[in-house]
Amino acid sequence: MLQIIRKNKIPYLFILPFFLLFFMFQLIPTVWTFYISLTNWKGIGAPEFCGLENYKKLFIDNMFWAALENTVVYWISGLIIIMFLAVVIASLLNYGHLKGSTFFKTVTFLPNICAAIAMGLIFRMLFDENAGLINEVLKAMGIGKVPWLTSTTFSKIPVIILNVWRNTPWFTMIIFSGLLNIPRDYYEAATVDGANMWKQFCCITLPSLGNILFFCSITLTVDSWKLFNESYILPGPGTSNTSLFQYMYESGFNIFNMGYASAIGVILILILAAISVVQLIARRKQEKI
Amino acid sequence: MAYRRKQTTVSFFIHTILIIISFLCIMPILWMCLISLKPSSETMSGIHSIWVSDPAFENYRRLFETIPVLQNAFNSIFTTIMGTVTSLFFCSLAGFAFAKYKFPGRDFLFYFVIATMLVPPETGAVPLFVIMKKLNLINSLWSLVIPRIATAVGIFYMHQYICDVPDELVEAAKIDGCKDFMIFIKIILPVIKPALASWAAVTLIARWNDFFWPVLYLRKQVKYTLMVTISLLPVSEGLSTPWPVILSGTTLVIIPIVVLYLLLQTLQKAGAMAGAVKG
Repeated sequence: MLQIIRKNKIPYLFILPFFLLFFMFQLIPTVWTFYISLTNWKGIGAPEFCGLENYKKLFIDNMFWAALENTVVYWISGLIIIMFLAVVIASLLNYGHLKGSTFFKTVTFLPNICAAIAMGLIFRMLFDENAGLINEVLKAMGIGKVPWLTSTTFSKIPVIILNVWRNTPWFTMIIFSGLLNIPRDYYEAATVDGANMWKQFCCITLPSLGNILFFCSITLTVDSWKLFNESYILPGPGTSNTSLFQYMYESGFNIFNMGYASAIGVILILILAAISVVQLIARRKQEKI
Repeated sequence: MAYRRKQTTVSFFIHTILIIISFLCIMPILWMCLISLKPSSETMSGIHSIWVSDPAFENYRRLFETIPVLQNAFNSIFTTIMGTVTSLFFCSLAGFAFAKYKFPGRDFLFYFVIATMLVPPETGAVPLFVIMKKLNLINSLWSLVIPRIATAVGIFYMHQYICDVPDELVEAAKIDGCKDFMIFIKIILPVIKPALASWAAVTLIARWNDFFWPVLYLRKQVKYTLMVTISLLPVSEGLSTPWPVILSGTTLVIIPIVVLYLLLQTLQKAGAMAGAVKG
């Protein structure tokens, strides 16, 4: 064993930083989260073991279920809207006779580089009930004022719009680079055979993008479950906008209920692990085909 | 003829939609810049808000009085630059080892690196805070740099690139008596410059926009990064900070990164960032 390490000490040395950091800042915290979740630790003093107490509390905690529900809403809405828009915009950008394509590519990517926190503040003002630009436009169109961030019915909409606005460009870019890999001959052959644009899209574009769309939806899923900035900067009344991850942060660092926060952390870890397993199984199946 | 006319209609249609989408992408940013220049005497509400008759910098002056902008900007720049430089170096070093050396357990370790991406470190925020406290790194900018010196995504990205560097190049250098680390510095780094550039752009943007980690680790105003300070702007004067002042804060945060992005876009070929992975 030692012999092997000594013989290959240079490559091992080169990859060592990653593993040290992984051990210190990812593996230990993950395992430790499981342990803290079984205690009633408040941030000071010695943690006291209390079994599954925190999980029992979670189960009957309305705020936890609300946060879970919100996160699922963000996840599903993001998945549907972002994927749809990304495919549409990428296809438009891939149009053969597009003029000014560099301009369009640059501009449509712009939202992705803007900080979610700063944009959240701007959205808070755009969506303001009394003086916001959005309500002014709606009023001019004959629709009344909408209490965006002050009513539980509408408060998630600004968060979803911010999430979509900021994250669509990233997936547009990935899908666009996927589109570039589809040979143009396919479309030419289809045109000769008399297939219209819609038919071409369904029978050539979508199937060729299969793998990329799958990869995008997994990335989007993981990102959605750790959504924090958007809902933090655009709070609704009560817990109507709180995401699960945000609820963990607030339980841990506003109320200093570390044990409880860790229990939420464990739930998040389990959900993400389940998603990874589903992904692995799906990959296997694809490879078999 | 009918076909030609149909083509023109389709083309017109596609251009129109793209112009609308581009407008929606720029509108919030432009609106922010306009409002941030509005003197407090002008009305803020309604459609009229998009017209600034007398641009002024008084909002920026007030912003500098409300928060220690320069100190916080320094903190942001420091963590962004340090984070990017260290991450570039250690990610490409590890990527180099995985791509150009044969050693026992290489493939397993590489898959292991990729697998670590699946559970984000954010879920361990509670113990991470305790670890940082033990290391005396709470309220230290290094707490934002050190944990992400070598990231799995970065290693994966660099590995893909370095795999394409011909083996002969490395072999030739070895025969010439070049030591391993010098091969990395003298041969690999110059060859993978494009990859370094695009990965640097992705990392720079991600670090600059970082919010969760600074808000978790930095608990003093002099140590805040810009992102944390501006997130607190609405409550910093007892809920009374006027909108134009807040928007001048967000302008200060967004415009540098937009300018940097546009510069990089003109320097590199468009779409060079395509294929990059999220930071």
